[in-house]
Amino acid sequence: MTSIQSTKPSSGSVTLHVNGESTQVAAVLHDTLLTVLRERLQLTAAKRGCNQGVCGACTISIDDAPMRACLSLAHNCEQAQVRTLEGLQDCPHMQALQAAFARAGAFQCGFCTPGMLVSARALLLRNPDPDAQAIRSALSGNLCRCTGYVKIIDAVRTAASALRLEGAAS
Amino acid sequence: MSALQGLYRPKTVEEATALLAQDPEAKPLAGGATLVAMLNARVIEPTAFVSLADIDEIKGISVLADGRVRIGAFTRHRETAACTLALGSSAVVPHAASQIANATVRNMGTIGGSISFADPGLDYPPALVAAGAVIEIASMDGRRTVPAADFFVDWYVTALEAGELVTAVLLPVPDRGVGVYVKHARVAGDYATASVAACLVDDTCLRVAIGGCGPTPLSDPEADAEISADRSDAAIAHAARLLVERADPLDDVRGSADHRRLLIPRLLLRAVRSLEAMHRSAA
Repeated sequence: MTSIQSTKPSSGSVTLHVNGESTQVAAVLHDTLLTVLRERLQLTAAKRGCNQGVCGACTISIDDAPMRACLSLAHNCEQAQVRTLEGLQDCPHMQALQAAFARAGAFQCGFCTPGMLVSARALLLRNPDPDAQAIRSALSGNLCRCTGYVKIIDAVRTAASALRLEGAAS
Repeated sequence: MSALQGLYRPKTVEEATALLAQDPEAKPLAGGATLVAMLNARVIEPTAFVSLADIDEIKGISVLADGRVRIGAFTRHRETAACTLALGSSAVVPHAASQIANATVRNMGTIGGSISFADPGLDYPPALVAAGAVIEIASMDGRRTVPAADFFVDWYVTALEAGELVTAVLLPVPDRGVGVYVKHARVAGDYATASVAACLVDDTCLRVAIGGCGPTPLSDPEADAEISADRSDAAIAHAARLLVERADPLDDVRGSADHRRLLIPRLLLRAVRSLEAMHRSAA
């Protein structure tokens, strides 16, 4: 059983790498990353909707891929690079999306918006010119109960063309 | 035996199985897509997790010396869906992976975690049965393999014993066939109400497995023999009747048992016709 001694369990706190900074924060074993972000680090952009991975309101970026903060155990994220919407404000893709969402009125209550933005950014990073179907598919894991999605899809298309124009101009 | 406390991150399968042997109540944690949802719903309240995130041996897709294709248990659905190896009829497996939930969940969930959960509405189980996949399982005593058809035992019950862990899914040596996964769900991203995984190995060998219509993926050698010999509408309808007779679906929020029985012939016909179209365009 010597091999077991090489794997020490994590204890009452975790060291997380969030938005480029390392922070030690209290967390019990069952705490999700979402709980720690919202309740200990006051990063409240990611929302707790279903807490089951279905609604997408808690979508954040972990190691550069959109993932569910509510399905991630804080203790299992110690080696991950976590980025929340707060930490993506300098990203040109995020800025273009936020401007387009505001212009299109792509929200009513706004609860789903942070998750929508994180998912849409990941889409635009891998596909600079998505059609409506590609956008629907990329956002199919983000539920909005207000808008009917039309303006959200319009906003993502607008952001994509603004980014392409910017790229062509520079 | 003493109960473990906390989250462990072993580096090898041997360390992981040693931990599970020490505390069979400790939960192996892969992508979290199911396990953490169950934790949040208070369905489980484990005192220890054995995170598999640092075990390189169970990550990614590789070709074995004998030509079989090994999908490590910790391979995310995204990676399996994007597999570019020529798999022949086993391409049903990445095709199923591409239809699991949504892009974000596919970034998280793993094949080992998915099949260990063994929900009858999952996409992998029928695909693995149709493909003739084999599940590799590890424990303190070493490794063993179980055909996918025997791995799924009952509603949410697999062949895994206490202290065991899925380490890989092994796909047969690629043939020159084609595979397809046809899923019917209420909305994009939902579990299947019913699904058909179908593998056309060659012109005389077609295998199918039905998902969502009983405790485990449903397959029937007689139905396979029938549609292997004759792919007319009438033969497919007859094979579907054999499958419907053996189906044991439930009424649930995704559809009534009767609705599921009605889906089987329709999905089967669609699956066989798409296999033929793929076969023609591949030739």
